Amino acid sequence: MKNNRIGLILVGSMLAVIALVVTLLLQRQQAEHAEQVRVQGLGMVRSLAALPVSVLAPGKGAPSVLDSILAYRDNPDFAYAAVSLENGRNLAEVASAGALVPPAAPLALTGFAEREIAAGQNGRMIREFHGPVASADQKTQVRIGYFAPRTPLALKDLPFYALIALAMFLLVPLIYLVIKREMAPLAALGEQLRTAAACQAGAGQALVIAPGADQDADVRGLAHKLNRYLDQASARIRELEQESVASMASGRLLEYGSNKMQAVLQCLPDGLLVLDPAGEVTFATGKIEPLLGVPVTDVLSQPVEAWCRDPELRAMLARFRSAGLDTRSQMTIEFNPAGVPDKRLWATAQALLGHSMAYGTLVVLRDATREHLARQAGNDFVAHVAHELKSPLNVIGMYGEMLADAGVDDPAVRVEAINVIQDEVERMNSLVNNLLNVSKLEMGSMRPERHRVKLDDLLRDAWQQARSRAEGKGIRLELQVARDLAAVSVDKDLFRIAINNLLNNAIKYNQAGGSVVLAADEGDTDVVIAVRDSGIGMSVDDREHVTEKFFRVRETGDQQRGGHGLGLYLTNQIVELHHGRLTIDSELGHGSVFSIHLKKMPALVEGGQVL
Amino acid sequence: MNKRTILLVDDEPHVIRVLRLMLEREGYEVVSANDGAEALAKMDARRPDVMVSDIQMAGMDGRALCRTARERYPDEPFPILVMTSMTATGEREWVRELANVDFLEKPLSPRQLIARLAAHFAAAATQQEKTHAA
Repeated sequence: MKNNRIGLILVGSMLAVIALVVTLLLQRQQAEHAEQVRVQGLGMVRSLAALPVSVLAPGKGAPSVLDSILAYRDNPDFAYAAVSLENGRNLAEVASAGALVPPAAPLALTGFAEREIAAGQNGRMIREFHGPVASADQKTQVRIGYFAPRTPLALKDLPFYALIALAMFLLVPLIYLVIKREMAPLAALGEQLRTAAACQAGAGQALVIAPGADQDADVRGLAHKLNRYLDQASARIRELEQESVASMASGRLLEYGSNKMQAVLQCLPDGLLVLDPAGEVTFATGKIEPLLGVPVTDVLSQPVEAWCRDPELRAMLARFRSAGLDTRSQMTIEFNPAGVPDKRLWATAQALLGHSMAYGTLVVLRDATREHLARQAGNDFVAHVAHELKSPLNVIGMYGEMLADAGVDDPAVRVEAINVIQDEVERMNSLVNNLLNVSKLEMGSMRPERHRVKLDDLLRDAWQQARSRAEGKGIRLELQVARDLAAVSVDKDLFRIAINNLLNNAIKYNQAGGSVVLAADEGDTDVVIAVRDSGIGMSVDDREHVTEKFFRVRETGDQQRGGHGLGLYLTNQIVELHHGRLTIDSELGHGSVFSIHLKKMPALVEGGQVL
Repeated sequence: MNKRTILLVDDEPHVIRVLRLMLEREGYEVVSANDGAEALAKMDARRPDVMVSDIQMAGMDGRALCRTARERYPDEPFPILVMTSMTATGEREWVRELANVDFLEKPLSPRQLIARLAAHFAAAATQQEKTHAA
């Protein structure tokens, strides 16, 4: 601990201070002592100098003042006292034990003085005070000597010094405690900094604090560390700022990506719903409103029961919610949504799985109305065709049975039966042919190969083919084609089908003795091919629907003609394929006129090949 | 004894023609109609002993005809035979709701129809004799 070092420094410096104080005290004491000795010595010399010589040196055998001084000396350091003449002879002298009277110094003119006599054999220095005797004729002086104190440290002062030292020494822990207390926050800060630095170092930072740093850490170390930490922190801040910029950029990118994904999802023609594992909707696209009839706002953050009115959808979602993680399968149902009853929807549910956890369920809603209608139409078509094929078969079967019956012997009935069978076979044949053509037409595989065609020949052929059939029914078939008719661009085979269908109808829906006219005329821009009959005609209502697939005019009366509702549909389709127009003019009971309007071949290519 | 009357309803005139020829030869009186409405009109004039009807007809179809006939004459449940294709499985459902209606498979065999009618009338005659005896 650096604090221990502080403690040692404190102790050392305190001891030095104590030593200094003790030295100063001793010096002071010595100075005082010397002064005291000087005052005493000088005082004694003055008082002795005032005495008459006789008193000072009464002669042999008589007690001298000096003897009484020695006897009553109050100073343990008293060395000697003497009265000396100028020549150095001592008139009187006394000395304490162990002291020799040194030879006298010449008398100073100034009178009283002192001198120091260096240590002799006994090793003690002596301070001597001397002064002239006032009453003497001769130059007589009085000398008193004192030993310099032997030991500067008097034993009696020891407790005093000890007390001072103790008092001062006791200050040390106090100061130490105070310092330690003051240093505590700094130490804690240092520790924290060290830990922080260590943490950063552990997190892959380059800067590492030495493990032993805490042992000699002091305030400077702390400051150093603090600086380093600040450097490190600023570096880290810069790093973080860079990271923040980078993360902001990547955040923008992510947001852009997410927005794009949202836009993609919203633009999907299918409606999407995402349910969390608890069954609440977390995402829905706007397409669900037209599909389910429920706005997105009613759906978001709501359980299925709150918005879903379709039992089929609810059942499926409930199944997906109750099923565990294992549901990797998807499930599709088809239903009519309660909110939009005229629609048909496919709903596909798929568990959202990833990283071995379930995020919920994805529901894709697809508008299957068209597919449903197409399927229905297909079913209707099959049913209709089956019926149309079965009806003639039924009739053929019954007539066949009747012919086989031995009981029929009327030849007229036999002829009738055979005719009916032939008619029905023809009807079936025409139905199958037309069906094949319609199928080709609808599949788009019927591509008209248009050529310049002289209508005269085409119409004449058709007229000749139909004539025998018309005559068999007692119907007159006429051909009225204008000379030099403009050429048209048509597919010969297809056009033949269209015209044959019109002629067949005109003959079929006619009465014996009636007439059919196949005519072709040229207008300003059009060539018009017309089939006019004096047949049964049709009502305005029927006229509107007569070119629809499988439409059949409701017939009244005994004589009925088997039709299958494809002939006019096919004719109309073929005419439209040639960019022409089929018009119908009809009056019930007075016959009909079916007209094909075709654009004339442009003059530019008039010189082209004519078939 | 009065001739048994059969009401034939079909929009295919050839069917009516053949059946009429064959049934008349068997000694039945045949009344025919082109659709449901006409059949009801004929029925109104005189209830037939048996009605034979097609189902798929323009105008009033066989279904509506059978229901109307049963509703209009609840006390005269004369047998009705409807001609239907085996393909139309859904047809069987509505027929069960009505009393004394049975199927005739299409394509129809006139001989089979004659046999069915004969069996029916024979059974009816036996029933009548039994009630007389009682």
